Amino acid sequence: MSLASTDTMKAGPSMLARLVARQELALLLCLILVIAFFSFTAENFFSVRNITNVLGQASLALTAGIGCAIVFISGEVDISIGSLLATIALPLIIIMNDTNSLVLGISGALLFGLIIGVVNGYLTAYAGINSLIVTLGTMFIMRGGVYLYTGQRAIPDDAALDSFIALSDGRLFNVVPYSAVIAIVLLAVFAYVMQHRPFGRQIYAVGGNPEVARLAGYDVRRVKFTCFIISALLATVAGIILAARVGSAQHTAGLNFEFQVVAATVLGGVSLAGGIGSLTGMALGVLILQFLSNGLRGLGLPTEWQLVITGMIIIAAVAFDEAKRRRAIGG
Amino acid sequence: MSVDFLHPGETVAVDKSVPALEMRGIGKRFPGVVALDNVDLTLEPGKIHALMGENGAGKSTLIKIMAGVYGKDAGTISLRGREADIKSPRDSLKEGIKVVFQEIALIAEFSVAENIFLEGYPTGKGGSIDWKKIRADAAALFKRIGFNVDPAARTGSLPVSQQQMVEIARALAHEARVVVMDEPTSSLTPNEVSLLFTVIRRLAALGIAVLYVSHKLDEVFEIADTVTVLRDGRHVSTRPIGQHTNDTLIQDMIGRRIENLFPRKRGAPGSKVALSVEGLSTAKKLKDVSFEAHAGEVLGFFGLMGAGRTELAKAIVGYDPITSGAISVDGCRLLPHETHTGVRLGIGLLTEDRKSEGLMGELPVYQNASLASLGAFARMGFVDKVSERKAVQDYVDRFRIRTPSLFQQVKNLSGGNQQKVLISRWLMRGLKVIVVDEPTRGIDVGAKSEIFALIDRLAGEGLAVVMMTSEMPELLGLADRIAVMCEGRLTAIMPRDEATQENILNAAIG
Repeated sequence: MSLASTDTMKAGPSMLARLVARQELALLLCLILVIAFFSFTAENFFSVRNITNVLGQASLALTAGIGCAIVFISGEVDISIGSLLATIALPLIIIMNDTNSLVLGISGALLFGLIIGVVNGYLTAYAGINSLIVTLGTMFIMRGGVYLYTGQRAIPDDAALDSFIALSDGRLFNVVPYSAVIAIVLLAVFAYVMQHRPFGRQIYAVGGNPEVARLAGYDVRRVKFTCFIISALLATVAGIILAARVGSAQHTAGLNFEFQVVAATVLGGVSLAGGIGSLTGMALGVLILQFLSNGLRGLGLPTEWQLVITGMIIIAAVAFDEAKRRRAIGG
Repeated sequence: MSVDFLHPGETVAVDKSVPALEMRGIGKRFPGVVALDNVDLTLEPGKIHALMGENGAGKSTLIKIMAGVYGKDAGTISLRGREADIKSPRDSLKEGIKVVFQEIALIAEFSVAENIFLEGYPTGKGGSIDWKKIRADAAALFKRIGFNVDPAARTGSLPVSQQQMVEIARALAHEARVVVMDEPTSSLTPNEVSLLFTVIRRLAALGIAVLYVSHKLDEVFEIADTVTVLRDGRHVSTRPIGQHTNDTLIQDMIGRRIENLFPRKRGAPGSKVALSVEGLSTAKKLKDVSFEAHAGEVLGFFGLMGAGRTELAKAIVGYDPITSGAISVDGCRLLPHETHTGVRLGIGLLTEDRKSEGLMGELPVYQNASLASLGAFARMGFVDKVSERKAVQDYVDRFRIRTPSLFQQVKNLSGGNQQKVLISRWLMRGLKVIVVDEPTRGIDVGAKSEIFALIDRLAGEGLAVVMMTSEMPELLGLADRIAVMCEGRLTAIMPRDEATQENILNAAIG
């Protein structure tokens, strides 16, 4: 006794169509196009030095972008990460200056990040306040707190530990910056979690349809809560790398960083509606924007234009995506 | 005890003397309505127990309590003789209760196979998800129950009926002691229904207690061992199916003769065409739908789930975009295709989804009623509250809307009274055509006949009423003509006196 009408089996897209429809593949093509274009037009673009430099620059957004994408996939948003970068630099630098210990400094920073993640997660998941509002609030509170504490002056890294400085200029095999290595390892770990661990699939289910997830026995609130903690901890890692790079705790660190990350994540096909997108897509989105900005600078285009072009690309990418989705539903 | 279809030949040891599930004195209230009052239900292992009752009888509430979706206000639940504290869906699943809800509870973006194992992913070494096992087990399960669908397909791309079968298959993939099915056949074809019945009988043979929720008599007579009937949130009867006839079951469900539900006072419909629809198509669903509705007529649209009734209702009032076709109200084209044009021409929709598309629950009754006609009460750009409230009070009196005051938040009214508020909203505006979508969904049986009387009165006052319904008695009791849809097409349109349940269903199946 056959149930399904045979035509539904055939109605699926062909292998080729499915591949093209894969967002990651389209993004990869875009990235290759961007790199190819600037390789021909911009001087010194296509060199190992420049490309690894770009990877190093991208590592902050890649690391924090993992958390941003995970929160998006769970159906929420977290825009507090830029302020968090500046905030966690304070315990990091102060503890290192006092104790000369990198481990203690990083532990202090992670503890701070954890607390912020708990606050964001609790207010969103358990108190039921809209996550945009919650993280907008903590974004302002943290930035204001940093301004107050520092009196708008940078706190220099007086300890100047070699291991800490290596985070900014050290390179694995003298080629790949450590910061990029950290980002790539974290990316691999979380991409594996999202696809191959029950917890990762729970995040997709919760973002895709919270009611269904609840009926399937998931603790929707705990899943969302955990996502905010992951996001805050990953932003903390990014903040540590940034502090190493600037050699101080800066009150302006990470200004507008959250929007760069959100832009790259959205460009990477992670839907704000939840349940859709992948960390690979997010990473490709980050790399496209980073290479674009690097290449445009190589062409001598002023920074102002980079902003304008980035904005247009994001709207175009999401519009394209929306059109594709509508066609898929309508057809 | 594992079900299974995955491991054939396994016999299940069940102590048949202890009920699989026992509910005692269950009570549940919602604002403005008592949904359940002292209801008992006992499910025996290996038996198929039907739960019957009209819409609003409390069937869905009862199974949602069983599933941990709602908490209960009173009563106890015992499983295999042990009292259980079910506070969340997870507790319920842990006790081996699998509920297949009427609404699709699948993640659209996931593959069919992943949805089957949503409640518990099989993991391999070190806790990684064993995708190979998921695909293989899903394929094996489908094969065993004769369900021919690609486990790798994206769930959202399947038609509703197949999604429903995926949900049923999911209930079998894990250890289950009680399987509950809420109107599982509402979107299935006859072939799929007979397949479903085979599956249900096998579940029972394995010692699983099955609760089959339905309001379809023939299905219940075919499949059930025992029937429990609820009415208005109360337990009416529990009897072996052998003690029931069609008449006794209807008697228990309705509690009064069906004719009384549909008091017809209006005269014969006029000949003036109030609404004309020609060649209407939409991107998603509708294909070349044409019909006319006359002033003073109730034109009933019937169709199975997914037939396109709601889509048609939303398209003809200008709410959803159309790809081709022409809609005219009293001879005027609905152009541009927007709801504000529709309201200006005199066509409005009484939505099936009162909560999200109809009411503003936090606002008072009078503001909900006057919403569409604020312009009429405006004086120099300000709403004249006195005349606004006077007009609303008028409708409250005329329709006997039961509300403590005009200032009561509308969410606190019962379903029937909410529906009357919405009808007032449109009548105040002065409509020529009103489209009503499932007008009695979620409304107590007692209030239903009032809504029917109201619809009868609307037609009597010269409106053309286009009524979308999945309730056969409602259709036969109210409509002057009956139109039937299937898969977005109009498959039949017939006068009431030529319509029988058989020819309507035949047209609905296509």
